[in-house]
Amino acid sequence: MNLTINNLSKRYANGVRALNDVSLTIPLGMFGLLGPNGAGKSTLMRTLATLQEADEGSVFLGDTNVLAEKDEVRRTLGYLPQEFGVYPKVSAEDLLDHFAVLKGITKKKERREIVRALLEQTNLYDVRKKKLGGFSGGMRQRFGIAVALLGNPKLIIVDEPTAGLDPAERVRFLNLLSELGENSIVILSTHIVEDVSELCSRMAIINRGEILLAAEPLAAIADLRGRIWKKIIDRDELPALEEAHTVISTKLLAGRTLIHVYSESRPDASFEPVDTSLEDVYFTAMAGAHAAPGVVVTEAEAVP
Amino acid sequence: MNANFLETVRFEIRYYLRRISTYVYFGIFFALSFLLVCAIGGAFDSVSLAIGGSGGNVHVNSPYVITMITGVLSLFGVLVTAALLGNAIFRDFEAGIHPLFFTSPISRFSYLGGRFAGALIVDLIIFTSIPLGLMAATVVPILDAERFGPFRLLAYVQPYLLVAVPIIVFTGAIFFGLAALTRQMLPNYVGGVLMLIGYMLAGNLASDIENEQLAAILDPFGLNAISLATKYWTPVEKNMQMVALDGVVLWNRLLWMAVALAIFGIVYSRFKFSHVAGERKSTKARAAEAGPPAAAYAAPRRLTLPLVSRQFDRSGHLAQFSSLTWRSFRGIVANRYFFAIVGAGLLFLIFSAGQVGKLYGTTTWPVTYAVLEVLGGTFALFMLIIITFYAGELIWRERDVRLSQVQDAMPMPTWVPFLAKLAALSMVVVILQGAILIAGVMTQAVKGYFNFEIGLYIKTLFGLQLVDYLLLCVLVMLIHVLVNNKYMAHLIVVLYFIFTAFMGQLGLEHGLYQFGSDAGRTYSDMNGYGPFLVPFFWFKAYWAGWALMLAVFTNLFWVRGEETGMNWRVRLARLRLTRPALSIAGLAMLMILGFGGFVFYNTNVLNEFRTGQDMEQASVEYERTYERFEGIPQPRITGVNLRVEIYPEERDVTASGVYRVLNKTDVPIDSVHIRIPSQVEIRDLSLSRPSRMVLDDEEHGYHIFALQEPLMPGDSMSMTFQLAYITEGFPNRVSRTSVVENGTFFNSSLMPSFGYDPNLELSDDETRRKYGLEPKPRMAEVDDLEARQNTYISQDADWIEFEATVGTSADQIAIAPGYLTREWREGDRRYFHYEMDSPILNFYSFLSADYAVRRDQWNDVAIEIFYHPGHEYNLDRMIDAVKKSLDYYTENFGPYQHRQVRILEFPRYASFAQSFPNTIPYSEAIGFIARVEGEDDIDYPFYVTAHEVAHQWWAHQVIGGNVQGSTLLSETLSQYSALMVMEEEYGPEHMKRFLKYELDRYLTGRAFERKREMPLLKVENQGYIHYSKGSLVMYALKDYIGEDNLNAALRAYLEDVKFQEPPYTNSLELYGYLKAATPDSLQSMLADLFEHITLWDNRAVSATAQPTADGRYSVTLTIQAAKVRADSIGTETEVPMNDPIDIGVFAAPEDGSDLGEPLYLQKHRITSGEQQITVIVDEQPAKAGIDPYHKLIDRHSDDNVVEVGAGGGE
Repeated sequence: MNLTINNLSKRYANGVRALNDVSLTIPLGMFGLLGPNGAGKSTLMRTLATLQEADEGSVFLGDTNVLAEKDEVRRTLGYLPQEFGVYPKVSAEDLLDHFAVLKGITKKKERREIVRALLEQTNLYDVRKKKLGGFSGGMRQRFGIAVALLGNPKLIIVDEPTAGLDPAERVRFLNLLSELGENSIVILSTHIVEDVSELCSRMAIINRGEILLAAEPLAAIADLRGRIWKKIIDRDELPALEEAHTVISTKLLAGRTLIHVYSESRPDASFEPVDTSLEDVYFTAMAGAHAAPGVVVTEAEAVP
Repeated sequence: MNANFLETVRFEIRYYLRRISTYVYFGIFFALSFLLVCAIGGAFDSVSLAIGGSGGNVHVNSPYVITMITGVLSLFGVLVTAALLGNAIFRDFEAGIHPLFFTSPISRFSYLGGRFAGALIVDLIIFTSIPLGLMAATVVPILDAERFGPFRLLAYVQPYLLVAVPIIVFTGAIFFGLAALTRQMLPNYVGGVLMLIGYMLAGNLASDIENEQLAAILDPFGLNAISLATKYWTPVEKNMQMVALDGVVLWNRLLWMAVALAIFGIVYSRFKFSHVAGERKSTKARAAEAGPPAAAYAAPRRLTLPLVSRQFDRSGHLAQFSSLTWRSFRGIVANRYFFAIVGAGLLFLIFSAGQVGKLYGTTTWPVTYAVLEVLGGTFALFMLIIITFYAGELIWRERDVRLSQVQDAMPMPTWVPFLAKLAALSMVVVILQGAILIAGVMTQAVKGYFNFEIGLYIKTLFGLQLVDYLLLCVLVMLIHVLVNNKYMAHLIVVLYFIFTAFMGQLGLEHGLYQFGSDAGRTYSDMNGYGPFLVPFFWFKAYWAGWALMLAVFTNLFWVRGEETGMNWRVRLARLRLTRPALSIAGLAMLMILGFGGFVFYNTNVLNEFRTGQDMEQASVEYERTYERFEGIPQPRITGVNLRVEIYPEERDVTASGVYRVLNKTDVPIDSVHIRIPSQVEIRDLSLSRPSRMVLDDEEHGYHIFALQEPLMPGDSMSMTFQLAYITEGFPNRVSRTSVVENGTFFNSSLMPSFGYDPNLELSDDETRRKYGLEPKPRMAEVDDLEARQNTYISQDADWIEFEATVGTSADQIAIAPGYLTREWREGDRRYFHYEMDSPILNFYSFLSADYAVRRDQWNDVAIEIFYHPGHEYNLDRMIDAVKKSLDYYTENFGPYQHRQVRILEFPRYASFAQSFPNTIPYSEAIGFIARVEGEDDIDYPFYVTAHEVAHQWWAHQVIGGNVQGSTLLSETLSQYSALMVMEEEYGPEHMKRFLKYELDRYLTGRAFERKREMPLLKVENQGYIHYSKGSLVMYALKDYIGEDNLNAALRAYLEDVKFQEPPYTNSLELYGYLKAATPDSLQSMLADLFEHITLWDNRAVSATAQPTADGRYSVTLTIQAAKVRADSIGTETEVPMNDPIDIGVFAAPEDGSDLGEPLYLQKHRITSGEQQITVIVDEQPAKAGIDPYHKLIDRHSDDNVVEVGAGGGE
């Protein structure tokens, strides 16, 4: 079962074009949606999660029309929004149980089992009686994933789940997510490249409402191999170099500036080859330099 | 004032000026003010609205009316202040941005003070909309210019400053402080409710004059203080004077400003400019500081989850529904603020129950319906608040904690969350109704009343009221969902409530378009809910249809997901318009049409539906068409013989009868003009002489028979008729409460009468002008001989012979004036035949109910009280009052003309007692359940009874002509008679208390006079004059000329005019007797009391006492005296004074009473201005003063007495 997004567009009342003719096909497994803040990730995620309407285009989960048959989709959906809160005075177990009912798990015994299993799985079992108001960000995020996992969802959408987590929590959280990709479509949006590189078998990069690239991360990295070059420069050299080359990223390194440049061949001897990473793929796509054939996945190719 | 502060203020103002809601608020209050002035200014034909005593002689733009409107609107404005000031700090916490402010180099003062000042300034600007709207409306050209006085800018500015600004500042400080301190919004609502309670409590207290000062101070909004300060303002004063910032108003403002300041101070000192442990953190803030929990590092495990079955069928949805319902419900009730609101409400209830049915400061027994009315009635306002507020909370529950996205994506139909929340809200209402039940029973128990009618509690709280509330829940949910902005929705709900309150006056009177309405509802111990239940059921069924429709609508527009723009919501709604939704809407439509049709059939087909305007129109037509017949010679009724059949179950009456009529004029009468009320069906109507009906105008109830041969002077004939007064279905408002299941009471006004009746004309000059009619004098001049051909009670008869047979159902007793001569049964009906053995006025009544009877005897007069079983409380008092009245009246005025006195209880659809010949119908509301216990309690059952018995002399023996001053002869003299009986029984101290209420009633009454105030001698049937002023004047007169002297004059007058034939006596004739009995020295006083509207302003300035050589005390009293005369609209002119007035010196009071034993009490001649009086008393004086017993009419009766100080060096 695939999730197929065709020509999805959305313009907000204030004129912002959040999605512009987005088409994607997302198969089973972890799918990373990478993009800067405000790229349209959340709009896309909310649309997939039946919470937002699109101006144009269609979305199908298998045969189900996501935009029209919302109830159908919600039965197989697990959704963790980018930002969410909880009732501060309710315990984790209690609220999870409540959501279990809402997810249609009406048998008390089964509900008790799944709630217990999920709390254990998310390492919240020890604090199950605690009020949610006292939870840390990571705990709450894990609680959120427990809610999302209720009812064995086939489509799991997690919107920026790692934002604001400390490194250890983040690892813990990603581990949990990685387990999910085996039987479900898991869409993870993030602006952190590592999240995708560590987890996802497929990904798309989105900016200003448009899909810049949809690919398998490893293939995309491989494809870029030999085209990214680096150089350490002084700050004031940057304008000139930007004139001459396609600078995809700059970062500070011990007081000087490290730039990565996209080029089919080594620009000059002062540039050194780079062991390309997904970050380079991301920046290349963001810089709009990436136009290599065979990398942009067309629909036909995306079918595994 | 530092730069930071000013910057914060500027920032805050800019913030609000950018928000659309600021302008919406301004617009709403501007529009409200504008429309109010238009409405009371006569802009809309169908609208007849009066606010703050506008109308009559009070200008729409008088300072008084403007002040009142400003006050009421400011009260509603509290909602806006709560939203604005409450958010000033709270929004930082809500957005989680507060650390940014706390860590910036801004002082606590600049932050708190600046925010407060900024928001307050915006709030103050918003409420300039009130004076601006009021002013703008005055230029609307279609307004009735006669209702306006000259424009005065200050009249708008001053109320804004005096009323609106303090309310805004005070409530603003509270809302600002509560939200800043608790960092929550909920406490604000609690604060708001508490203030409302304070206000209502004050209003409640103020209803008894004993507490009104306290009430005025305690009202946090100060409106009660302003009401008190302006309570006695006459129309002229209302037009001219501004409410001054002094007295209670000043004290109130000072107190509450101090409270506001204190609250701000507390907030300032307690407000932590830092992170508070355990505070509710915003998501971002919390995420940023999340520490690594110990358990988080555990190694990942295989994700294995047990397989679960899932249910998405109906029972699955039901499970979702109940889980959500329960959770929503618990979310509301398991909260200390909920308990705070409810607890405060209940406390208020229990307190208000203490005021149950106060009359003259005396309460009634806390019978269940009365407790329910106080509790259920007063609590209704809380219920509206709670429903409105919690509807908002429920709808925003997930969004407020940012859980909505999670929940909205859950696999449940949209109706599940909607209905769950509606159900939770309903459960809250049910719980509260239960709380009222408990509070009610507790109140009764605490007050030592143990007849808990649990059945009635349940029927009222969970049957009738609950239906109303549930309907309301649906409506409020719809408003919240459609508006989709919590604060704005609250305001709109409130506006809706205001609108419904005025719908009737706006000409929208039909229950079919007032959401949730019914045909009225009054409970009576005698008749239960009686005629109100059936229409209640059908009306509510109709509104249930609407509620269902609204629910479908709400569901369609329920916000789910992130699309909140209207066009998307419309599109989504269209998607949700599925077959089930359509079929429910169809069912709803069916209910609306079906039940609505049935209601319409009842209200408009079986019954005639007439708006107030329709009725005015009918009056106008009646006057225009038939006024030309006014005063034409008509026969007069000399005998009445009736057979009246009362069918209580069907609420029908049929009557057949014969009138004997006589041409008492000196001209032949060729046509007979007969008036029969239009709601009475005429089955037969004929004269004993050859005649034919030449006019048959049923709509106006006017019928003319032309006689073949004129009825010559001195000739008589008879008129036979058969009438039916049938109840069919139910009307829009159940108004026919005179014929009911148990407790029928109607009078002769349903019977035919002769000639044009000017009493049916419109009387209000403003309304008359609307229809192009000339203003109409209220009554004919006191010496108008033509008008004196009739009594003021009947215009087609003098003294009649009366006989009636009354039939009713087997379990009831039916009564009419006269003596019971025969009683029998026919089938399942019971008949009574009554005959009167002496001539009576053409004024009689019929009653029927399932009565118990208490009998007693006074000499050869039988005393009978027909009462509702269970209402035995005051029977002994009433009998006692009858006996003592008969004692006093026969001894002082003359013999009683009947052999019997009967008192008959009737349901509380009306609350008066009325004296018919030997028959006194007496409402269950005014005496039967009175609870006279304390020493000081005024025994009003005793007093009312004495008054009604007195009418057997003053009305049924002496009756004035249809001219000014005639009610002095009946009402004032009955009032005086009752006072004398009461004084004999309870003593003069008791009289003082009673007269205090009478003084208050008189002064309040004249303040609301719409036409013109008359001197007592020319009273035009004005209750506040002939009852209240009458009591004061007669009591003073008795004091001046002596009781025996006065009674002798009354006896001589009565002897002279009793049972007289036309022309009937008038007040001038009585006045002649009074003058003759008054010594010359008091003639001017007599004139002041009767001929003029005289007000004294006597004040004790100071009093000192010095021991004399012989062990006594020389008391020197300084007084200030003045006397004014007022004209008919209250313009006062000072007149020189030279009146004998009481000067009193008193010992210290022993018990709680005001004054102790009088050590000295003598009349002194007092002249205008300041003067000193020295008297010697035997004992240590405590208080001294002028007119200490308030015998004279004085607007400031509280300054007549002062404490006696130690002797000065004078």
